[in-house]
Amino acid sequence: MLSLWRKIRRTGRVAEPPPPLPEGERPERAALLGGSVQIRHVDAGSCNGCEIEIGSAFGPVHDGERYGARLVASPRHADALLVTGVVTRNMAEPLRRTFDAVPAPKLVVAVGDCARNCGVFAGAYGVAGAVRDVVPVDVEIHGCPPRPEAIVEGLRKLTGR
Amino acid sequence: MNLAATGMAAVVAIGLVTALLAAVVPARSAVVGVGTAVTGAAAVVAGAAALAGGSFSVVLPEVLPLSGVALTLDPLGGLFVAVTGGVAVAAGIYAMSYVDSLDLRTRGVQVALPLFVVAMALVPAAANVSTLLVCWELMALASLVLVVAEHRRGPRVASAGRWYAVMTHLGFVSVLIGLMVFVAHAPDDSFAALREAGGRLSPAVAGVVFVATLAGFTSKAGIVPLHAWLPRAHPEAPSHVSALMSAAMVNLGVYGVVRVGVDLLGGGTAWWWLLVLALGAVSAVYGILQAAMSSDLKRLLGQSTTENMGLVLVGIGAAGLFASSGEHTLAALALTAALLHVVGHAAFKTLLFLAAGSVLHATGSRDLDALGGLRPVMPVTTAAFGLGALAASALPPGTAFVSEWLLLQALIHGLPAGGVAAAIAMPVAVAAVALTAGLAVATFVKAFGVGFLAKPRSGAAADAHESPFTMLAGMGVAAVVCVVLALWPAGVLPAVQAAAGGAAVSGDVTLRLSQATGALSPLLLTLGLLAAVVVVAGVVRAAVARRARREARLWDCGGGPMSARMEYTATSFAEPLQRVFDDVVQPELDVDVSHHQESRYLVQAVEYRRKVPDRIERRLYEPVLNAITAWGGAGRRLASGSVHRYLGYGFYVVCGALILLAVTR
Ligand code: SF4
Repeated sequence: MLSLWRKIRRTGRVAEPPPPLPEGERPERAALLGGSVQIRHVDAGSCNGCEIEIGSAFGPVHDGERYGARLVASPRHADALLVTGVVTRNMAEPLRRTFDAVPAPKLVVAVGDCARNCGVFAGAYGVAGAVRDVVPVDVEIHGCPPRPEAIVEGLRKLTGR
Repeated sequence: MNLAATGMAAVVAIGLVTALLAAVVPARSAVVGVGTAVTGAAAVVAGAAALAGGSFSVVLPEVLPLSGVALTLDPLGGLFVAVTGGVAVAAGIYAMSYVDSLDLRTRGVQVALPLFVVAMALVPAAANVSTLLVCWELMALASLVLVVAEHRRGPRVASAGRWYAVMTHLGFVSVLIGLMVFVAHAPDDSFAALREAGGRLSPAVAGVVFVATLAGFTSKAGIVPLHAWLPRAHPEAPSHVSALMSAAMVNLGVYGVVRVGVDLLGGGTAWWWLLVLALGAVSAVYGILQAAMSSDLKRLLGQSTTENMGLVLVGIGAAGLFASSGEHTLAALALTAALLHVVGHAAFKTLLFLAAGSVLHATGSRDLDALGGLRPVMPVTTAAFGLGALAASALPPGTAFVSEWLLLQALIHGLPAGGVAAAIAMPVAVAAVALTAGLAVATFVKAFGVGFLAKPRSGAAADAHESPFTMLAGMGVAAVVCVVLALWPAGVLPAVQAAAGGAAVSGDVTLRLSQATGALSPLLLTLGLLAAVVVVAGVVRAAVARRARREARLWDCGGGPMSARMEYTATSFAEPLQRVFDDVVQPELDVDVSHHQESRYLVQAVEYRRKVPDRIERRLYEPVLNAITAWGGAGRRLASGSVHRYLGYGFYVVCGALILLAVTR
């Protein structure tokens, strides 16, 4: 036991140096959050490709949490929404209500091409629109699906770290 | 004739007159309600007079052949008479309008109610074995009639009645055997003679007497493993009868143990009381565990009765153990705690059963999973049940808190007193009492939260209405007593101590033991709690007022409006507990998944069934019942219906008897 502690102490923190802070403007309200952003993920009609990438963005390789972003289980606990997929007709109202449930100041990140501009599903019969058409969007992340690095980059715009 | 004697005479006279009127007057329920309440009031007066020192005794040799009726009222008996009377007052007032279902208005049921109360009041006043047994049997029969009062409601009532009849009579036989063995060693069957003979009995005989009477009396008190009738009979009986049975009748089992073990047999040896302590601890934990799993409101209350009687027996067992090692102050403390718990339990269990009856009256259901949402439509009943639940939870400011605190004090301070046995038993008992108290909180949070708050889970619960005034008044009486006992236990402590025969607690619940003194003022505690709540609420309000506020919709996952199906049910509330105690309760789970015919991969329906059987019952009763059924089957083969055969049986038996006579002569 003691030797394990010793080893932990000797090894210290092992992590690659973080890549430089992403370019592009940072939403003003993100500064109010002080570098710690609690995020609620909402699947508004995604094909789940984006979800897999979000999963790996918070996995051990990309480790989004080390920049101050954290996924939480309820919009009541959240500062920001991470919306994936086109907004389907069934999910338009729940998305609006979820947005209402987040305490101010709040931010919305649209992840993936579907969320930005309906992507491959544009014009489909069940689609209510892109995320922007339902709730105000602050940050958009490109890609179908976006690479985990891109997601982490987008989140770092919120945390500023 | 002093006050106690007048009171007892009034109890018998008014009770019998009421029973007589019930048989002839057309508007029975009101007469019986008032009569029962007045009988109860007279019993309270008689008991209080006896507690204040005005004991009496009468012998009426003509009433019963051979031994006659002998009555006496000492402080111990007085306490139980007073408690019985108090319950009868509340139940009587309540019964005036509760009996609006047809089955309850029948003559037999109405006559039985006052007789039941009279019999219960006479049991602690009996001064010889015959009187005790006659009253005991009268009590059992009257309550049996009342249990099966609503037999038209379904076969479960009849089954409950059968269980109750068989078990109460087996208990009676056990008491009878014990007392007969005892009487055989005494000049006559009066308690005075028995008391004298009790000290001279050989340990083996005394042990037999004690164990036999203990089995009989604990079966009446619903103590494990003789509790099987209790969770059956209590839910099926009409609610005011449940209250009388659960708050008054079971106490008499405790009375019997104290009377025979402590008074008549003079204390006995340590192993008796270790046995009592063990039975009590097991009953307390097992009873409350079953209650925590239960989703039937009245069954839950019945199982909580087993728990509370278990706690009382823990106190009595500890008292006996201390007394047998010469620690009389501690023994008095433990017995005081036990008897105080009897009083408190009577108050809150009356209140809870009457409130449950009010719910049953309004909704026709006692299934917690079909109730809920009663607060806006039945505010008084909800408040009454809430108060009862708080009283039962052993949390300050509750009624049970004071007695359980005293009990824990006695158990903790008893550790150095009683040698090896106490050194092992006391910590285990403390743990059992603490575990019981914790589970009781969970149980009553469940009963109150699921049963009364949130949204109604069924149409019947949504259409509920408040009960008529007299029912509320009955609950009100019990509620006032609960509050008084919770806030000012010092008011009844002297009486309880008189019954326990020793003072270890004084003033506003101040303990005076050889090593320790401790004080507890429930009133100050309550005021302190209230002040703390006000301060915390004030601080939170002040802190919140400075921030911007906005009204927001209740978070319902963004989906449609919340429906009652999304609520926590009693079953789901108990699920974590059930998991923790999986090895003890061994629930039976059944998950049936049926698939679509076209594809085995598509699920058509999932059915989930859960049952928490009484494990002790499974292990102990089922083999016996199966054996009896098997014997019955074998016996039936003898009776084939052939007349020739029956004549042959008679012939062979006569021949056999003749041969036997010829040989033995
Ligand atoms: S952006 Fe691509 S991966 Fe993400 S939900 Fe749309 S289609 Fe799926």
